[in-house]
Amino acid sequence: MNNATAAPIDNETVGGVQTDQMFINMGPQHPSTHGVLRIGLTVEGEVIVKAIPDIGYLHRGTEKLAEVRNFHHCVVLTDRWDYVSAMPNNLVFCLSAEKLMGLKIPPRADALRVIMCELNRVASHLLFFGTYGIDTGAFTPFLYAFREREMVLDLFEMLCGARLTYNYIRLGGVMIDTTPEWLTRLKEFVEYFKPRLDEYDTLLSFNPIFMARTKNVGCLTAAEAVNWGLSGPNLRASGVDYDVRKHDPYCGYENYAFEVPLGENGSCWDRYFCRVREMRQSIKIIEQALSKLPEGPTMAMGVAKIPKPAPGEAYAHVEASRGELGIYLVSDGGISPFRMHVRAPSFVNLAMLQEKLVGMKVADVIAVLGSIDIVLGEVDR
Amino acid sequence: MSEASEEKKDAPASNGAPAPAAAPAPAPAAAPVPAAVGAPAAAPAPAAAAPKPAPKPAKAPLPDPVLNRKNGRLLEDRFATWPQPIFDSKWQRPSYRQGAVMLAGIFVGLAVLGIAVGELSKWADLFYHWLGSPLPKFLLFGAPGFWQLSPLAVDAIWIAIKVLIVLHVILINGLWSIWWERKISAHIQSRVGPTYAGSPKGMNWHGWAQTAIDGIKLLLKEDITPVAADGPVHALAPAIVVIPCVIAFAPVLFGKELAAASLDIGTLYIFAFAGITVFGVVMAGWGSGNKYSLLGGLRAAAQIVSYELPRGFSVVPVLMFAGSLDLSVIVKAQAGYWGGIIPRWFVFYPVVGQIAFAIFLIASIAETNRVPFDIPEAESELVGGFHTEYSGMKWSIFFLTEYGYVLLGSFLLATFFLGGGSSPINLPPFTLIPSWLWMLGKAMLMMFTFLWVRWTLPRFRVDQLMDFCWKFLLPWSFANVVVAGVYLALWLK
Amino acid sequence: MTQDELFAKIQAQFPKIEKAANPVKDYLTIRLPSKGDLLSVSLWLKNNGFDYLDMLTGTDYLGPVDMKGYIRQQNFNVFLPDGATPEIESAANPAYAYKPVIDLLWSFVSIREKARVIVKLELPRDAASVPSLAGLFKAADWQERETFDLLGVTYEGHPNLTKILTPDFLQGHPLRKDYAHVKDRFDE
Repeated sequence: MNNATAAPIDNETVGGVQTDQMFINMGPQHPSTHGVLRIGLTVEGEVIVKAIPDIGYLHRGTEKLAEVRNFHHCVVLTDRWDYVSAMPNNLVFCLSAEKLMGLKIPPRADALRVIMCELNRVASHLLFFGTYGIDTGAFTPFLYAFREREMVLDLFEMLCGARLTYNYIRLGGVMIDTTPEWLTRLKEFVEYFKPRLDEYDTLLSFNPIFMARTKNVGCLTAAEAVNWGLSGPNLRASGVDYDVRKHDPYCGYENYAFEVPLGENGSCWDRYFCRVREMRQSIKIIEQALSKLPEGPTMAMGVAKIPKPAPGEAYAHVEASRGELGIYLVSDGGISPFRMHVRAPSFVNLAMLQEKLVGMKVADVIAVLGSIDIVLGEVDR
Repeated sequence: MSEASEEKKDAPASNGAPAPAAAPAPAPAAAPVPAAVGAPAAAPAPAAAAPKPAPKPAKAPLPDPVLNRKNGRLLEDRFATWPQPIFDSKWQRPSYRQGAVMLAGIFVGLAVLGIAVGELSKWADLFYHWLGSPLPKFLLFGAPGFWQLSPLAVDAIWIAIKVLIVLHVILINGLWSIWWERKISAHIQSRVGPTYAGSPKGMNWHGWAQTAIDGIKLLLKEDITPVAADGPVHALAPAIVVIPCVIAFAPVLFGKELAAASLDIGTLYIFAFAGITVFGVVMAGWGSGNKYSLLGGLRAAAQIVSYELPRGFSVVPVLMFAGSLDLSVIVKAQAGYWGGIIPRWFVFYPVVGQIAFAIFLIASIAETNRVPFDIPEAESELVGGFHTEYSGMKWSIFFLTEYGYVLLGSFLLATFFLGGGSSPINLPPFTLIPSWLWMLGKAMLMMFTFLWVRWTLPRFRVDQLMDFCWKFLLPWSFANVVVAGVYLALWLK
Repeated sequence: MTQDELFAKIQAQFPKIEKAANPVKDYLTIRLPSKGDLLSVSLWLKNNGFDYLDMLTGTDYLGPVDMKGYIRQQNFNVFLPDGATPEIESAANPAYAYKPVIDLLWSFVSIREKARVIVKLELPRDAASVPSLAGLFKAADWQERETFDLLGVTYEGHPNLTKILTPDFLQGHPLRKDYAHVKDRFDE
């Protein structure tokens, strides 16, 4: 952090005219850096000569904090990384801790976890859809997206009492079982939401100005995307079929039929449209999960109040809304994790900015930054 | 609300069961019309269409539960606001009916106002003659005798009055169009917009006073000049921005022959003065001492200068058809109807008219720095562009100017392409409506188009904006001029 | 490809490599004999389909975490009186063999074969320095900076090995077990 100081400004004389480069601090207070990201931009006119992303403004050291909390308490910490979609965060910690403890999760809890994560993916992608509209100058999609996102958050609130930091997925299962009324509401939402996706396409996806702004901007080839370690829709937009749900299934994702939307050339528009299509797939998964929701308990038997897993190491990863979210957990047999490392998708996705922004226009910075959909809570952890 | 409760009373009071199809009102099966569990249900049901219901029942202590009902069951949780099929059709919603009545009321009110002002305008003529009569000099200067004011002095007073009126058109337009924009954008975005501003007594019809109150707030706000700013330039920029806007309104037609100044070169005059504003914008960008402002100012300079060209060339066919730069001559050239039905407006001239209209509309939007051409202030990129560092009244002057130019563009569109103050329908009730009302209506329609575009489209990028201007709009406006020449040679002469 | 097949393939190329004694559950975990092998192994992995560097990190196995590394008071329950028994305390597990090493970890993924190899390397705490993978995998760029920042591992040949998450004035590497917080301008 703080090392993106003003780059040496290059003053040169071209054809008798002295040209100056200008250093612009984009962020940490800026309308479209999605939090407290700072990008030190050196521009020549409107063209970026050098871009240095600077992060760490939101660093809270959760990995260190986890080392003095017991495993149940750590679930609370996870909510604060990707606060836009906190369910997969809960899930990935629980998965890795359950691997350490050797817990067996009841099938109803698994199905509920899937429903929650997919709902949260919808909510998160809706936020992306709305804010990306704002980033490109269209304010209206934002409110349409929030209308639906509000309903998802209402669903979460009805079930677990929280709208943002759920702490719903717990070690051994989930916090609370659903009520029949909640399931009715969820079905209502699914029915309500499906036609909305077509509305979004009409409103933004195929708008000629929007496409001109985002198609062929910030393109990444498949090899580049893999080399940068991108994950989630950012990687799939480049045509790389890597989805943890298919690749290394968890929570019974292998039992659901869904497609993995792929893009063509990894442009901003592809990244955007992958997400929009993913919402459709998430709804499909939710419908399947609802149709065959197994009965039974939602919490595994024998989860200790203060778990002390045997010494060992575990890695679990899930397809979170922003990409592959992984947790590497080491236990020394004590009450708290000996080491927890978070493989945060936003953090890894963001790294590519420093090279990809060079040569773009100032307006493209916003388009590219918006399209990789970062959450600074997860970048800085 | 009153109509809603009427409906409720109108429906059969079967508790829970869906209303049978024999119900007089088109009550849907799923509609939650059963009566509320309470006293009002027992009251006699007056007809829903009655203009004034019988004495209103005492106000219930709880809010009307109709909206919170589903399958005859009261949903008391706060999630009951989810979209539910409560009404069978839009017209069953009381707000829709009220809205329709209000809209009709607005038009009737406008017509009455129009007739009243038409009468007043006759008084204005009387006033003008009265100014030339001996009495005013006596009143003004107490001069002895019954000498008259010189004709020059009469015109000076007369022009001052006209300038004052036009100035207030611009100021009141700011009040009105900001409120209108907020309401329209809200309804485009499935919101309701301002609702509370007005009066604590409940005279807050759709937040009518919102802009006035915002204006007071802006007046009271601290006027900040950043340390890095170039003080005089920073302070002068809003003035340089707003003055040309006011001056450019001089020859604008507000109705038939209704303009502050009748200029032979009206069109050129307006374009010339509207172009000066860009100096103020660049000054604001430069003088703010902020890099975002600087970028915004430079973008504005490039954009406005570029879009002047297609804007100017798109009206050349109009000028060719009319044969004059004088706005009132242009309007006169559009008088009459083809076959007594289709008005001879320039927008209805095949192909040429529509292309010119579209290009002029697009270029006008670009001139006013509004989405999708708002790159100088691009909020998500440049924070606020050239007005990032302005606050209070200086900032609001930029906005006043923006809305002034929207109004100017709307009036010009109405003048050049929509026949000015002439009626679109060649039938007595419409042709009797005064010309200034038609003019205003057309201008407001165009202003709505501006707002509609703004709240629908995303923003261009700088280079795309320039490409669009130089590679698309400009060639087409040139081609349009050529086609207009062919029309003149073969058809119109 | 099962884990055993994969391991056999790797061992055919690098005979000195062996399976890690403390594997990451469910994944093939191999341990490098020395840090000199890192670049050749990762290059071989990259050329054989494992071209996705998923994660890299490290663990300090010195012992239980030092409570002086936390700024806030240990007892964060505001309803307890001053001087009450702390609710959080780090305690050593007597049955666990702590050792003064930093165990580094790289996780390579083959997207095509849906396989994952986790490579581990043990380094002494006071000489934690390995070759950087940033030249091979750009994904390593920021993750190595993060590991450098939080664990104090030096990556040789990294183009820009600077702090990334913690502020400039923060002294030490917070995820080291013996990290103690030095008061700075943001403490009262």
